Amino acid sequence: MIGLASLLNLLLPYWPVAVIVALTVLLAWLVGWLVGRLIRGGSPQMAVAARRLAVVMVGLIGGTLALQALGVSPDILLLVVALLGVTALVALRDPLGNYGAKYFSDIYTPFKVGDTIEVKGYSGKVIEINPMTTVLLSDKEQLVSVPNASMIHDVVVNTSPQAWKEVIIPVSISGNIDLPAFESDLLKTLSKLRARLDPRFPPVVTTKARSPQSTDLTLTLMLRRPEDRDAITAETNKRLTEVLDRVRAGRR
Amino acid sequence: MFGPKNHDCRTRRIPSQGNSARRVQRAVLGADFTQKILCPIAPIGSVRGGGASLPPLSICINTQTPLVQFLPPTDDVRGNEAAGAPSTLDGLREGIDYRYSPGGVTRMVYPLVRRLLHERVLDQAHWVALNPTGPRLIRIGELTLHNLSIENARMAGYGKVKEAIWGRIHELDAVEEHDDLFWSDAFSEYAYYNRFTAELIRSLDKELDFDAFYIHDFQQLAVGHMLSTLKPKIFRWHIPFDASTIPEKWRSMLSTYLNSYDVVVVSARRYAKSLLALRPKGKIVRLYPYVDPADYSLPENGPILAASQRIGLQPADEVALVVGRMDPIKGQDLVIDAMATLALSYPLLKLVLVGNGSFSGSQGGLGLSKSAVWRAHLEEMVKERGLEGRVVFTGHLGQEELDCMYQRCRFSILPSVREGFGLVAVESWLHGRPVIVTERAGIAELVRDGGNGLLFAPDAPGALVHQMQRLLDDRSGKLSARLAKNGRVTAKKCSLDAAERAEAELLTDVTEAS
Repeated sequence: MIGLASLLNLLLPYWPVAVIVALTVLLAWLVGWLVGRLIRGGSPQMAVAARRLAVVMVGLIGGTLALQALGVSPDILLLVVALLGVTALVALRDPLGNYGAKYFSDIYTPFKVGDTIEVKGYSGKVIEINPMTTVLLSDKEQLVSVPNASMIHDVVVNTSPQAWKEVIIPVSISGNIDLPAFESDLLKTLSKLRARLDPRFPPVVTTKARSPQSTDLTLTLMLRRPEDRDAITAETNKRLTEVLDRVRAGRR
Repeated sequence: MFGPKNHDCRTRRIPSQGNSARRVQRAVLGADFTQKILCPIAPIGSVRGGGASLPPLSICINTQTPLVQFLPPTDDVRGNEAAGAPSTLDGLREGIDYRYSPGGVTRMVYPLVRRLLHERVLDQAHWVALNPTGPRLIRIGELTLHNLSIENARMAGYGKVKEAIWGRIHELDAVEEHDDLFWSDAFSEYAYYNRFTAELIRSLDKELDFDAFYIHDFQQLAVGHMLSTLKPKIFRWHIPFDASTIPEKWRSMLSTYLNSYDVVVVSARRYAKSLLALRPKGKIVRLYPYVDPADYSLPENGPILAASQRIGLQPADEVALVVGRMDPIKGQDLVIDAMATLALSYPLLKLVLVGNGSFSGSQGGLGLSKSAVWRAHLEEMVKERGLEGRVVFTGHLGQEELDCMYQRCRFSILPSVREGFGLVAVESWLHGRPVIVTERAGIAELVRDGGNGLLFAPDAPGALVHQMQRLLDDRSGKLSARLAKNGRVTAKKCSLDAAERAEAELLTDVTEAS
């Protein structure tokens, strides 16, 4: 009994810290969910990134407040974090640049594995996009490794035929979703957009990866007019979410 | 019909080519279409199994039509399933409880699989097919049949799309009729059926780790794409292929699906040539369809007489035989028209039309009514032309009665307006009967007019009548004998022996390449 009383006495001054940590976790989850809902019509990668950023920000603020409650000066903490950050950025400038470029090029650069592109005077078929480089196979069957940062800084020309038409939307669905029903419903709903899509290229769903937990798919659409890209992407993402909700609810 | 069977003691078997078929012609079409490879046939054991170093393969076959249809679904089979044990055909009666599906695809695939399993090229084979009235699982020796079914509402959409593809490829329907097919609601059900099939195959693969997938016929075309596996996939395109008949709006979709296969097999050289227009990524291989001569017999006079009497043939009748399902594509109407022209000049001539609906048209299958409508149309034609008593509709015949009809006829006719290949011509050759073949059939590339058969253009007025007259006027029998003799030789190219070597090599090539 004496031991327990001593422990309680020891922990009692720190209850505000526990409350702050608990609230931070709760708030981080809530903010993440809210951000996800707000930008559900946008690109799925952007949604994931925004959710993650929001959660990290809430965590950082919560952590700072918790440390302050413990009596640690937040100024010193922030200084240490800033110094570590700057050091890491200087030391890992190139790899981080490439990694970041890869991250953004996934979303914004209009090419994919299999396309033929020209960049920095090199041209070839894209056979790999890894976190650091994009690997091209040239006409002379040489492997050309282009740092991903170049894909952001330099002009990239996609010379694949009809590349401008192609919109590829990654879709990740839970492993317990009925895939045939999902695909069928998706094709049905997308056929309503056919006035905006090239009639020669109906939507194609391709399975990229499977695990018991999830199925990664891509949905390929071909535009009729290049200026419709953003509108079609947003509309498709909206419809994707609706189809998922319907299939989850077991309705057709 | 062509399952394991005991031959009646009153029949003689048609001699199998055995090891005499020493060469098989196979055209492999890649960048250089003119490159032709003649593959000498080695003993089968040197390809796979049979003590050779290469281990036997495990494959998954996929067709729309199931090997076995149940008439109707039996409690026996369902009982086995409920007990959790794999179902078999033991204790069930062929023709009463079940039947082997008619039609070229299952008729070809089953004997081949049986042979490849026997020769240890394969150590196990799983066959996934659409079979709404069958049990989930049936075991026939080392072959396991997996039957799947989808909801009726989805089946309707699927049926609509497959009929549209069929109609367009066979040029029965205008391009505009199906221009937007791949955007239709029905197509979403076609995609559903293919994805559903692919998911079942994927789950089997997870458990059984197949070496390769062999997908058959256009109804299943999307399955390869949906499987998303790096394992080798072969697709056999059984129907005709003429790129010029394919609507512009279909091409990208067909290309996407065809590109998912390592090899696309077609039945005729001209289909292979035309397929190049879609630039498929995989190899294009031409393999002739085939039959197992052991499944055919030469009946004695007694059974022939009995079968003839049953359908109302008189001993003096001169029989022209047409074997094919009731379908506009099969061109039975052309022969009825030819009969109308010849009826007066040849009073003993009778036309026997053998065949019913396909799996799609049968009650045990998809229940589409196409065949019944076509038969009614043909019967009306017969009436209008005053040919009652001169044209006999037999419906579906079992193999032994079919053998009797081939023996009873003077010649057979393959009158299709479009035909992927036309194995009935091979059947006629195996029975030593001359055959008149439409130029629109894949097998026409094996027919030399006046050499091993007679050819006619279905749209040329009088062409079929002329060829029928040549045979009817051949009183000395010289022409018929020559056509029959040479036809027997040609039939070897379409025998199971030839196919066994070619298919085993194909499987070996594709699995080793992967």
